[in-house]
Amino acid sequence: MNVGILGCGTMGRIHAKCAEKYGLKIVRCYDEIAKVGKSFSKEFRAKVSDSWEELIDDKDVDIVVIATPTPYHYPALERAIKKEKHVFCEKPLCRTLEESRKIVQKAENSTGKVFVGHVVRYFHEFEAIKDQILQGKIGEVGFVKMYRGGASPKGTKNWFQDFEKSGGVTFDCMIHDFDWLRYVFGEVDYVFCQNLIGANRPPLDYSQVTIRMKNGVLGLVIGTWAHAVGFRVKVEVCGSGGLIYYDNMEGPIDVQLRKAESAQGTIVPESPVRYTPYEKEWKEFIDWIEKDKIPRVNVYDGLKAVEIATACLKSAELKQRVKL
Amino acid sequence: MIKIGIMSFAHLHAYSYAHCCNSIPEVELTAIWDDNKERGKDASEKYNTKFVESLDDFLSLPLDGVIITSENGNHKWMVEKCAEAGKWILCEKPLATTIEDAVSMVRTCKKAGVGLGIAFPCRFIPAIERAKDYVCSGKLGQVLAISCTNNGTYPGGWFSEVNLSGGGATMDHTVHVVDLLRWMFGKEFEWVYCDLGNQVHKGVFDTDDIGVLQLELEDNIQVSHIASWSRPKSFPTWGDVTMEIVGTKGVLYVDAFNQKLNVYSDAVMKAEWAFWGDNPDLALIEDFVSSIKEKRDPLSTGVDGVRSVEVTVYAYESAKTQKRVKIKRTKI
Repeated sequence: MNVGILGCGTMGRIHAKCAEKYGLKIVRCYDEIAKVGKSFSKEFRAKVSDSWEELIDDKDVDIVVIATPTPYHYPALERAIKKEKHVFCEKPLCRTLEESRKIVQKAENSTGKVFVGHVVRYFHEFEAIKDQILQGKIGEVGFVKMYRGGASPKGTKNWFQDFEKSGGVTFDCMIHDFDWLRYVFGEVDYVFCQNLIGANRPPLDYSQVTIRMKNGVLGLVIGTWAHAVGFRVKVEVCGSGGLIYYDNMEGPIDVQLRKAESAQGTIVPESPVRYTPYEKEWKEFIDWIEKDKIPRVNVYDGLKAVEIATACLKSAELKQRVKL
Repeated sequence: MIKIGIMSFAHLHAYSYAHCCNSIPEVELTAIWDDNKERGKDASEKYNTKFVESLDDFLSLPLDGVIITSENGNHKWMVEKCAEAGKWILCEKPLATTIEDAVSMVRTCKKAGVGLGIAFPCRFIPAIERAKDYVCSGKLGQVLAISCTNNGTYPGGWFSEVNLSGGGATMDHTVHVVDLLRWMFGKEFEWVYCDLGNQVHKGVFDTDDIGVLQLELEDNIQVSHIASWSRPKSFPTWGDVTMEIVGTKGVLYVDAFNQKLNVYSDAVMKAEWAFWGDNPDLALIEDFVSSIKEKRDPLSTGVDGVRSVEVTVYAYESAKTQKRVKIKRTKI
């Protein structure tokens, strides 16, 4: 099977590497910035398509990877599904609820498989947290606090900082946590959100979401694009018989390189594992296509995550709690 | 010599305050009164002072100040008794379980001409003072958002009996952080949304053990706060006070009690944190002693006590109505 990559930024490159690792060939690529597409094409020996439409329509392309800014997801998904291609779409599924609903419908009627990259489900540490909970190590879970973020991300034409396009940290980043909460604890009852979209302070965003699950679990999810450097993930799960705490700053390896003074001294924490969460996603995606083995995340999960994140944005605007 | 008496050892903090009194040279822990005779006697032996059984006898002693560490619901009448007797008062938090009670207590003390302070020792933590400096000096720029926690372990006993405590973890663990933020920013809280419940102690007691507050501080500063008794018995310490303050020029994180050693002892068979930072209770009692000498209110005044009670009461109202609620401030 051959892969075409739409959007050749950070995520596009990550997915291309994963696909290659599992023996797939990257045959086409496209990026709205020609320079980016060109350097990507050199790295992966893939041809640059003339347009995103052409990449999707290309007969050589069996799998379309959508790693563009969120607003382009819908048109790309729609076209790829129509062409019965297999699709690996980065989260969030689409920018709006309406678009997401349409995609779920279309995907159901396609022979192509549509996968959504809710990668947190694949992180070893998050698998371990879920496992500890299911083992009953902390009794019945009643409360979860999740924290994610760091510096405001850098994307093509600063699209992340255009909150209309990205939905800010609430929609783009915390959707990981919303999906994971739903994955582990079931559907969401209601949310209350405060974020900085109304304050209009790009690149800064900081979002605090109170979330109540239908099974009674209460949660607070915090997302930040307001820090100067770094990327932090913290999880706290409280149960009737104990507590689980995870902090990504505690890891097995710590490296500090002396850089030229002009260079940015950003320290990227890393926790090496044999198969990265992204590779694990690809393994399940490929097994789904080849062996019809059902992956742990599907397009409907993508829709539900968009639904929760959209409810949060609405709550922040209304300054009231929003029921799902 | 400043003579201090302690009323009631119902609240565990009484033991720390008694210890602090004994470690300040110019203070004499003169007497203890407690409606629980046995508890009071034990404490008096432990802290080398006398137990006085009759409240009238206790209040007719030449005490300069009284520390009230009873159940929340008993603060009011005890404060009134002490004010009547002309004693300077340091009252355990929360000042009261209702706004009306809190306001009336402050008015009573004003009329009686005695100082009234609330036991908010967190104001005396050096890391918090440092954080306040960052906020006040403008080094963080304009502050836009704050997220806080005051987690703890379920203290047991009357804390979950609403008639005595006024509420659960939200009543117990909202006021510290509310007081800190009001003090650090010089701003009042305007709105609160709160979702709470008994999340991890079902079958043990009925009141809330976790409250998640979403607040708005003046000038549209959005604040979240977790007030909890979510720490299990196996947790290495009692809990925490943390704040992440997000400004246009930077982000500050303060974990007020994170001055600790990790201790692994086979004797207790659990990991423990040994705190090595300055004891904020000691600074709290020292300020109380100074306030007596200088005939002023302690650092956290009765009005501060009222304001934090107001936020808590409206948080409970929000949890009941499931709406964001405007916090009304009573003029005092």
